[in-house]
Amino acid sequence: MTTPIAEAPYLDISDPTFAMQSEALRNARDQSWYARTNYGIAVLRYEEVTKLLKDPRLKQGSAQWPEHHGVHSGLFYDWWTKNLLVLEGEDHHRIRRLLNPAFSPRLLKSLVPRFQALANELVDAFINKGECEFVSDFAEPYATRVLTIMLGIPESEWPTIARLASTIGLALGVTLKQDLHKVEEALTELYEYAEDLIKDRQANPGEDFVSRLVLASRDGDSLSDAELRNALVLLIFGGMDTTRNQLGLAMQSFMRNPDQWQLLAERPELGSKALEEVMRINPTVTWVTREAVEDFSYEGLDVLKGTTVHLFTQSAGTDPKAFPEPEMNLLGEHAPHHGFGGGVHHCLGHFVARSDMSEALPLLARRLRNPQINGADEWMPDSGNTGPTRLPISFTKGE
Amino acid sequence: MKIFVDRQLCENHGQCAIAAPDVFRMNSEGILEYEENVNDSLLADVEDAMDACPVQAIFIQDQP
Ligand code: HEM
Ligand code: HEM
Ligand code: SF4
Repeated sequence: MTTPIAEAPYLDISDPTFAMQSEALRNARDQSWYARTNYGIAVLRYEEVTKLLKDPRLKQGSAQWPEHHGVHSGLFYDWWTKNLLVLEGEDHHRIRRLLNPAFSPRLLKSLVPRFQALANELVDAFINKGECEFVSDFAEPYATRVLTIMLGIPESEWPTIARLASTIGLALGVTLKQDLHKVEEALTELYEYAEDLIKDRQANPGEDFVSRLVLASRDGDSLSDAELRNALVLLIFGGMDTTRNQLGLAMQSFMRNPDQWQLLAERPELGSKALEEVMRINPTVTWVTREAVEDFSYEGLDVLKGTTVHLFTQSAGTDPKAFPEPEMNLLGEHAPHHGFGGGVHHCLGHFVARSDMSEALPLLARRLRNPQINGADEWMPDSGNTGPTRLPISFTKGE
Repeated sequence: MKIFVDRQLCENHGQCAIAAPDVFRMNSEGILEYEENVNDSLLADVEDAMDACPVQAIFIQDQP
């Protein structure tokens, strides 16, 4: 039973007042599994999002992003159109095959003690004050320094990396064209970083992550220097702001659910469960984009080739049809969320993100008791990716 | 070697079919199909698939 397209709910997703966690969206989800938007359709329910995420009749939908915003050539255009996220078919699979082994969960385990030490070091710096600005005092340095640890860049250089990655992040805003000059300068600088790293590891290969990428080969094939460089930039770009934002959203969710924070402090083994719950009810990637590669019909809806399909992750993760009790519950059994996307483009860095955040959350819960909002918070717009840019909190000192 | 995919865990992401296309494939519905009995010469590819599976649903039942 599908609502005819003309009667389906309508959502203006580029309206500045549009909110993912709103009455309007919940009503739309009650009415219909999809909504029309000013750009393609939005899929709102768990079952349909789960299926369409991996449907072979859809491809990743971000390839046209620069062109939709008036950028048709140049350094950013070239990088974007060759990055793993937008490559398809064998071009995508070849790079993915070569990158994958470096992200093996077995190899990442050895980094866990460093993640813990880092989290403790950051908390030590502010814990006696009983307050902090959670984004700049914890989420951002943690997210960035985890990447510098992985990539083997001196940790002291994290502010430069953070600045460059955030500047490139402007490319995901609708003001891409105005920001293009800044974006390309940052990209040039990040390329130089990546090239130096690659040269260094080619000369002195070790057991570290970048060495593994440099040495990766399969059936006589390996990554060219340009492919390695593009991949390193993508990891920085794709791994930093996402983790920072997701940590900020986690703090927001737990401040709304103080009993769950208390539980996590008492039972640190619930760290992974805590992260999965946060990403289900409060994901930073609020929609995953797909594009139809052919005309097809799904649940009575005709989807034309070229249609953009936004798969709404938060809406799906709290869909009462799939989650009769959608509230955060670290002891509950909930179906898997879509915060890391899915299918062939499923997040390459999810083992890293999962292991660093599931270490950080219980440690924070134990040390920062009873966190409360403490001043004016500031937020990114509630669109494709979201999160706080400023989150002042106060707390009672734990350990 | 004999391979087992835990269908309770598998979410049909198809990462295994990228890593080891001779063993795993996604059908036209997007559902995983795979060979259960696999030549030992494919061990390295199968291990890559096991590592790449986002939900770690792939197991070798008799390690060669
Ligand atoms: C990585 C994937 C993408 C991200 C993160 C993303 C993010 C965004 C953001 C942040 C906005 C601004 C919304 C606002 O101001 O409230 C936006 C708007 C928009 N996006 Fe995307 N987007 C993505 C992919 C796409 C793709 C693939 C298309 C089309 C092919 C697309 C088409 C649009 C359009 C048409 C708008 C409205 C633009 C306007 O108001 O001028 N987006 N997107
Ligand atoms: C909280 C943290 C993170 C979130 C929420 C996140 C989310 C996502 C999402 C939604 C996708 C797109 C999936 C799709 O279209 O189906 C993606 C792809 C990707 N992510 Fe992440 N990510 C995170 C952290 C990371 C980290 C730490 C890295 C690298 C170190 C990373 C590297 C990538 C790459 C390379 C892709 C493209 C994969 C492909 O197209 O094959 N991500 N991520
Ligand atoms: S990678 Fe894992 S989840 Fe995906 S299809 Fe293969 S076994 Fe299933």
